[in-house]
Amino acid sequence: MTPEELHDVGQKHREQDAKTPHHVRVCMAAGCMSQKSDEIKKTLEKAIKEKGASDPCKVKCVGCMGLCSAGPLVRVDTEGQDSVMYQNVTVDDSSEIVQSISDGKPVERLVCDTNVPFFAKQQKIVLENVGEIDPDSLEDYISVGGYSALGKALAEMSPAEVRSEVEASGLRGRGGAGFPTGLKWGMMARNESETKYIICNADEGDPGAFMDRAVLESDPHRILEGMALAAYATGANHGYVYIRAEYPLAIKRLKNAIRLAARAGLLGHHISGTRFSFQIEIRLGAGAFVCGEETALIASIEGKRGQPKPRPPFPAQSGLWGKPTCINNVETLANIAPIVNKGGAWFASIGTEKSKGTKVFALAGKINNTGLIEVPMGITLREIVFDIGGGIPDGLSFKAVQTGGPSGGCLPDRHLDMAVDYDNLRDAGSIMGSGGMIIMDEESNMVDVARFFMEFCMSESCGKCIPCRVGTYQMHNLLDRIAEGQGTHEDLALLEELCITVACTSLCGLGQTAPNPVLSTLRYFRNEYLDLIGEQHIPAFVGQEASQ
Amino acid sequence: MAWLTKNSGTMQIERREEPYLDDALKAKLEAEVIIRYPDRRAAMLPTLHAVQHQVGWLPLQALAEIGAFLGVAPSEVMDTASFYEEYWLEPKGKYVIWLCQSITCELLNRESLMQKLQAKLSIKPGQTTEDGKFTLMNVECLGSCGTAPCALVNETLHEDLTAENLDQILDALE
Repeated sequence: MTPEELHDVGQKHREQDAKTPHHVRVCMAAGCMSQKSDEIKKTLEKAIKEKGASDPCKVKCVGCMGLCSAGPLVRVDTEGQDSVMYQNVTVDDSSEIVQSISDGKPVERLVCDTNVPFFAKQQKIVLENVGEIDPDSLEDYISVGGYSALGKALAEMSPAEVRSEVEASGLRGRGGAGFPTGLKWGMMARNESETKYIICNADEGDPGAFMDRAVLESDPHRILEGMALAAYATGANHGYVYIRAEYPLAIKRLKNAIRLAARAGLLGHHISGTRFSFQIEIRLGAGAFVCGEETALIASIEGKRGQPKPRPPFPAQSGLWGKPTCINNVETLANIAPIVNKGGAWFASIGTEKSKGTKVFALAGKINNTGLIEVPMGITLREIVFDIGGGIPDGLSFKAVQTGGPSGGCLPDRHLDMAVDYDNLRDAGSIMGSGGMIIMDEESNMVDVARFFMEFCMSESCGKCIPCRVGTYQMHNLLDRIAEGQGTHEDLALLEELCITVACTSLCGLGQTAPNPVLSTLRYFRNEYLDLIGEQHIPAFVGQEASQ
Repeated sequence: MAWLTKNSGTMQIERREEPYLDDALKAKLEAEVIIRYPDRRAAMLPTLHAVQHQVGWLPLQALAEIGAFLGVAPSEVMDTASFYEEYWLEPKGKYVIWLCQSITCELLNRESLMQKLQAKLSIKPGQTTEDGKFTLMNVECLGSCGTAPCALVNETLHEDLTAENLDQILDALE
C-alpha cells in the first residue's frame, strides 16, 4: 500500500467506526482470556442483539488493558462521553452492562476508577494502542496511524535518515543490556552484504516478565512495522521473530498479523511499490532460556543446540549463516514507528539524560495492582510501587523490589527514591533487564530468593563454558546449605569468591550476571545470611567503631 | 539442565515398519518450511516440532528419519533435540500440565499446588500417570505473573489457581 492508500483505508475505517456511537472493548489478552473474557464477549454480543439495533453498539476484542489483577476488564466508550471501565466482569453481568449503555448510567458496582495513579501516572508510547485496537484487525491498526511510519520512511527518507533519527532519539535496547539501538543499526548498515537479517527477540524468559507477551498479543503489527523499518534502515531483507513456544496466543496473533500485512503488500516484495523487499518468518523456541542470548538465538535458528559463541565477531558483522544480523528486542522495535513519525528529538525529550523514552514494566508479586505499566524513564521506584502499584497488600511493609530477573538484583527501601534508569539501577547492583519487577514484602526470605534465581540459572545453563556450568551448580549447593541452616562463614566466603569468578569468566550474559541476585542480597540483606549461619552478627558500623 | 545427557551408546531403537515422518508430512515441510531457509539443517527445530505434534513425542526412530530427511547425522539430531526442554524423548500423557515455577508463582504458594497435584495424580514432576492421561511438568515463567500462580494445560492457560479451581479444571478434562 502507498501512503495515500494507507490514509484512505484508515479514514474509511474511522468513518465506519464513527457510525457506531458505543464501543464495548473486551480485553482478550491471555490474562483476561483465562478468566473467560471470550465468553463475556459472546454474551455481550447476544445481549446487544436481543435489545435490537435502536442504539448501535459494537463489541470489540482488544489486547491487554494493563490492570491484570482486576480482570476481566471491559470498557464502554461512548462518543462525546468519558469512557467507563468495568473490572472483574463475569458472564452474568453482560445484560446489565448492555442495559446501562442505553440508560446512560454506568453499572456502579463494577466500575473501575481510572482516575487513580495506576492509570494517571503512566505515559504510553509502546502501549499506546494496546487495549485500544483489535490485534486481529489490520484496518484497526491502520486507523490509528499504523504503518504510516513505514510509508513515510519509504517515501520521504533515506535509510541513513531513519538511522539518524533513531540515533538522535537515544533509544537503548530494551532487552536488558541497554546497548544504543542507533549504534547497533549503524554497525549493521556499514557491513555490505547481499543478504542481511533482522531478528526480533521475543524469547522472553525472565521470571516475572510479561511485557513482550502483552505487546505481541495486543499490538502485533507494531512489531512488524518496527522490524520493517529496521530492515529498511540497515539494508536487511529477511526477518525472523524468535518467540517462545509457551506463548500460544501471541504466536497465533503474530501469524495472523504477518498474513494480513503480506496480503496488503506491507510485507513481501516491493513494498509500497518501492525497491524495498522484506519478509518475516516466525521461529518457535523450544524451552531454552539461554536462547535469549543473541549468539545462542542464532545457533537455534540455524537448527543447532542453543549455545552462545564468543564475540567478536558480533552478529552485526557475522551472524545468522555468517551474514550481518541485527537482533532487537520486542519493546525496542515497538518504539521505532513513533520515533520515525514524531522524530528522534521528541523521543529524546522524555526520560533522563542517558536513558530516553519510556519503559514498560510488569508488576508482580506482593503488590496490590499487578499488571502492565509504562512509565517515563526517571520515575522513582516509590512512585511505581506505592502510587501506581498501590502499595503492599495485607498491611505488610515493603522489603525489596527485584528487577532484571535472574540477571538483576534486589533493591531495598533505601533505594525507593532512586530515579529508574539503566545507569542508576546498575550502580545500585541490579539491572534494568527486560522489565520484570517483582515486589517482596517483609515475609519474603531473601536467601530463598537468591537460591531460587541460582536454581534457575543452574538449570538453564547451556553447559558450554565451565564457570557457568560448574559455578552455578556449586553456588546453588552453597546457598542450599546456608538456607537450610547448615552453612558456615567459610561457605559464605567461598560463595562470594565464586560469585566474582563466575561473573568475570563466563562466556555469555547468562553466566556473567548469574551471581547478581546473590551479590545484591548479600549487599543489602547480609544479616539474613548471617542469621542463618547462626552466629550473632554485629551491624557493620558498630564493628568498625569497635576496631578503631 | 540441558547439558545432562543419557548414555545413548547402548540404546536400543525400537523400530516399526511404518515411518513416523511420513510422505505427507515430508511434502508439507518441504513446501512450507525448508523452502524458507538457505540450508536444510535450519529446518531442524520446526521439523522436530512438527513430528512431535503428529506423533505426540519423538521416538529414536523418528530422530533417525529426521536426520536422513535433513541430511544430518542421527546423532546430531539427538544432540539438538536433547538440548531443548520441550522435545519429548519419552511418551507423554494426553494432557500435559505445566505448572509455572517462576518466582512470582513461588511467592504466591505454587508449592502447595504442586504437592496437591502430586498427591492427586500419584506422580512426580516429569512423570506420566499409568493410564496415560496426565503428565506433570515444572515450567519456567509463563509470563502471567500478574495473575499468578498459573499453569498451562496443553495450550490453555489457567491463572489465579487455587486448590479448588485446579481440581475443577482437571476434573473437567476427559
